[in-house]
Amino acid sequence: MLKARSKLAIMALVAIAAMLALPSAHSLPGGISGVQQSGCNCHGAVPSDSVVATIDGLPESYNYSEEYEITVSFQGGPSQEGNVNQGGFHLWASEGTLTVNDATAQVYNQNEVGHTDAGNDQVSWTVTWTAPATDKNVDFVLHVNSVNGNEDGAGGGTSGDMWSKAVVSLGGPIEVLEAADPFVVLGVLIIVSASLLAITLAYVFYRKDPDAFDWDNFAPWLADWLTSTDHKKIGTLYFVAGLFFLGVGGIMAMIIRIQLAVPGNDFLTQEQYNQFFTLHGTTMIFLAAMPMINGFANWMIPLQLGAKDLALPRINAMSFWLQPFAALLIFTGVFSGHGADTGWTGYAPYVVSEGAHHGTTMWAAGQIMLVASSTLTGINFLTTMAVMRAPGMGWMQMPLFSWSILVANVMLFLSIPAFGVGLIQVYLDRVVGTAFYDIAAGGDPLLWSHLFWYFGHPEVYVVVVPSFGIISEVIATSSRRSVFGYRSMVYAMAGIGIVAFIVYGHHMFTSGMSPTLRFVTMLTTMLVAVPTGIKVFNWLMTMHGGSLVYRTHTLWALGFLVTFTLGGISGMFFPSIAMDTHLHESYFVVAHFHYVLVGGTVFGFFAGIYYWWPKATGKMLSEKLGVLHFLTAFISYNALFWPMHRLGVWGMTRRHHTYFVTTEEALGSLPMEAAGWNMFITVSGFLFFFSNFILVFNMIASSIRGEDAPDDPWGGWSFEWMTSSPPPAHTLYKLDDGSWGIPTLRDANEHIANETPGWLSTWFQKLLVSDDDTEEAAH
Amino acid sequence: MSVMTPIFEGLWDHYILWSVIVGAIAFGWLYHHSFWFTSKDGEKVPNVDGLEIGVFPKHNDDMRLEVAWTILPFILIVWLTYYSWEPLDAMWTSEDGGIHGNECDYDDPKYNGSNNSMNSLGIIKSDCYHVIEITGQQWFWSFDCLELNDSLCDTGTETMEVYGSVPVLSLKKGETYLAVMESIDVTHAPWFQHLGTKEDTVPGMQTTLWLPISEQMTEESMVLCAEYCGDAHSIMAAKLVAHN
Repeated sequence: MLKARSKLAIMALVAIAAMLALPSAHSLPGGISGVQQSGCNCHGAVPSDSVVATIDGLPESYNYSEEYEITVSFQGGPSQEGNVNQGGFHLWASEGTLTVNDATAQVYNQNEVGHTDAGNDQVSWTVTWTAPATDKNVDFVLHVNSVNGNEDGAGGGTSGDMWSKAVVSLGGPIEVLEAADPFVVLGVLIIVSASLLAITLAYVFYRKDPDAFDWDNFAPWLADWLTSTDHKKIGTLYFVAGLFFLGVGGIMAMIIRIQLAVPGNDFLTQEQYNQFFTLHGTTMIFLAAMPMINGFANWMIPLQLGAKDLALPRINAMSFWLQPFAALLIFTGVFSGHGADTGWTGYAPYVVSEGAHHGTTMWAAGQIMLVASSTLTGINFLTTMAVMRAPGMGWMQMPLFSWSILVANVMLFLSIPAFGVGLIQVYLDRVVGTAFYDIAAGGDPLLWSHLFWYFGHPEVYVVVVPSFGIISEVIATSSRRSVFGYRSMVYAMAGIGIVAFIVYGHHMFTSGMSPTLRFVTMLTTMLVAVPTGIKVFNWLMTMHGGSLVYRTHTLWALGFLVTFTLGGISGMFFPSIAMDTHLHESYFVVAHFHYVLVGGTVFGFFAGIYYWWPKATGKMLSEKLGVLHFLTAFISYNALFWPMHRLGVWGMTRRHHTYFVTTEEALGSLPMEAAGWNMFITVSGFLFFFSNFILVFNMIASSIRGEDAPDDPWGGWSFEWMTSSPPPAHTLYKLDDGSWGIPTLRDANEHIANETPGWLSTWFQKLLVSDDDTEEAAH
Repeated sequence: MSVMTPIFEGLWDHYILWSVIVGAIAFGWLYHHSFWFTSKDGEKVPNVDGLEIGVFPKHNDDMRLEVAWTILPFILIVWLTYYSWEPLDAMWTSEDGGIHGNECDYDDPKYNGSNNSMNSLGIIKSDCYHVIEITGQQWFWSFDCLELNDSLCDTGTETMEVYGSVPVLSLKKGETYLAVMESIDVTHAPWFQHLGTKEDTVPGMQTTLWLPISEQMTEESMVLCAEYCGDAHSIMAAKLVAHN
């Protein structure tokens, strides 16, 4: 007897525990929302058979644009006359527009309607559906709640409630296939036009010389690019990939700007917009900026160090070839119309939720490949720097561009494992059902933010520091001076590398992170200004007493100084937390990071392209076109991003597919002037986008009929100017005695040249290469 | 329409002042040097440091200058940090006897509302505060006034011209509220535009946000979702009404 009773007690306890563990069931007086085909998440875990939902008033097949009155109702369940509340509904239509007739129902969006507070007391509602103007197959999904009304107010009806759903499908006047998603059309267009282009090119080759048109003739050329381990060829591949994706990301940015040109625009649906801004961010950071850095580093690291090639040429080829496949994975979702829609930050738990598109899984997988690629290529650069410096070149005699790549890669190594781990967790959560970010199972939503920003903040420095290196080279060479404060430049870069790791919390000032941590990161974030300030003032001082020669790369470097300083100043507004709570996730943030990432990173890249193009190709770029490119791009760039600061302060929110301005009749979230400024930004955006084609044209024109470049067109001192333009496949340098070989670095500072390396350089060298390895490398 | 709160405006003006000073120094310097130290003929240039290919050039540095522009920016950021410090007390004040006092005791005969008042820095102090609940869900906000009576806090829905049907939270001027927030599905963040403040609502976690409604508060303002939460993120809006 006692046994039976204790069994009963245990069962009761289990039942109570199960009820507590169920998702807390709130009857929502404002309506049920956020349910589509997947199921109702508002009442209990499973639908109930005793509730029957019906949709009346739908025709067999609809007429174009006709309005239909639909009655949705239900029978059964705990609902009965006299209850405080009787029930609710949620109706979703895949096509057409749903509107409401009275106050008992409300519109969430054109595809979704639900009951209101007032409509909570009935079991049948009437709404209006306007049929689409084209042939579509339409699905209706109705969810109903039957409630016993055992509690009033918000959250009322928490027990004994039941729900059910009904699905109705409807065809148009003629049964047709559904119109394809615009993304699918875009994807097909790209593939078809690329194939047509390939066929046309092949035909042009054929017409030129029909006899030579066979595979044996093409294979060596193709195989050379596919299998080359030459650092210059791989550098070029990186560049082509980087510039291509800069264009792709740019096109996405332009589509985003068309959507935002006027308030309430419907050029893109919210779903498409979400994919566009996600892929714009991911593309620009990982597929445009990173490959271009690797392109510069591949080309210039061996040349600046006086080496023949990189230390690990095969690993170099492998890290490049991971990129195109990673890019394909990242974009895979787009071709099915379900590209990643999480933002490049991919905040948990949205990134693992059912609502996030399928493409997100592939997006995470692609980025895992990029993590591998970046790590491999970083090892390569560090190894090259550690063991292949020319004789006479100590750590503190490396050109600043090489130093910047070293600092960037050390930062990358210390941060990217966190990102890799986070991505693998997300991937497993999405694919095999682990629960790292499943809140119901005790997952931690802030874990992703910490892992992501521990990587993400150093990452933006990884992207910008190589530009610092380029600018140091360009300003010093153009001013005909030695860079001011070489040592403090190196220490400032190392300082940025250290500070990068203790500031990431400023991305999480409003995330629910502990206030103590927020306060600490407020202090540390301010510190970023010190090393970057040293660099800016050193660059300015480099010009002092020099003799600035205005070339295109000089202009870009000066433009960089302007925009990067502005970006740095606007960055100082964020650590002030009382301001950040207003500016966070607003267009002020968008303006700031475009000022540092475009005005800093991309302007630095442009300077680098104009500076090293003659060395890499042996042809000069047109200075006239270069100046035209600089003037149009610099002006349109500032017109594009400067007004965004003001929009952000006014309250324009990032990642919103549209915005509304306050008019005399209606309240919106922005003042009237915001509409005009957005149009101005869009126009400037297009000017900026098209101005960069001047560079593309310049490159093509230079390759075809550019003047031959001398070995040292700008008067630089480092080793890359000592070899021919373009350099031979296995780089050798022109020595003083007229022969070709590996050079020895001389130092104009005699006291340093004769010094033995200090403890810091010795320690650093030993950290990277143990003594045994040094001997081996020497053989 | 200004969305700047007095705290924001004070900090903003101060930061803009320093931005202008730093900008004037950097850009004045850049402007001067890029016109003064130039050569028209790139071929005949003075080569002060004797740059030569394959030779690490002469060091061009000045310890005093480099130390100066390490120390001076450092002093500036210490000052800016100090200046940003005070409003933090107002934003993260304790729920027990901070500048907003304790939760209001409605049975206390001396109870007379929050009586909040703003000092010259824009920081609002109150006698006591009221607790409300905010819940984020894809893609709408739910406000709950708990036991507060209608004159202190009221909720409802309204059909707006552009956002469609949105929830409305109506709070009383001169009163201070503590919003206890959570999320049912993914992360959201209510941005009270005219209060210049936002905080994430995180599933499985409780966050709080102070909502001091001053007498100067605009009658009607928007609440937007600032943390990306999926398809209808941009129209996950609500309206804040400040009534007398």
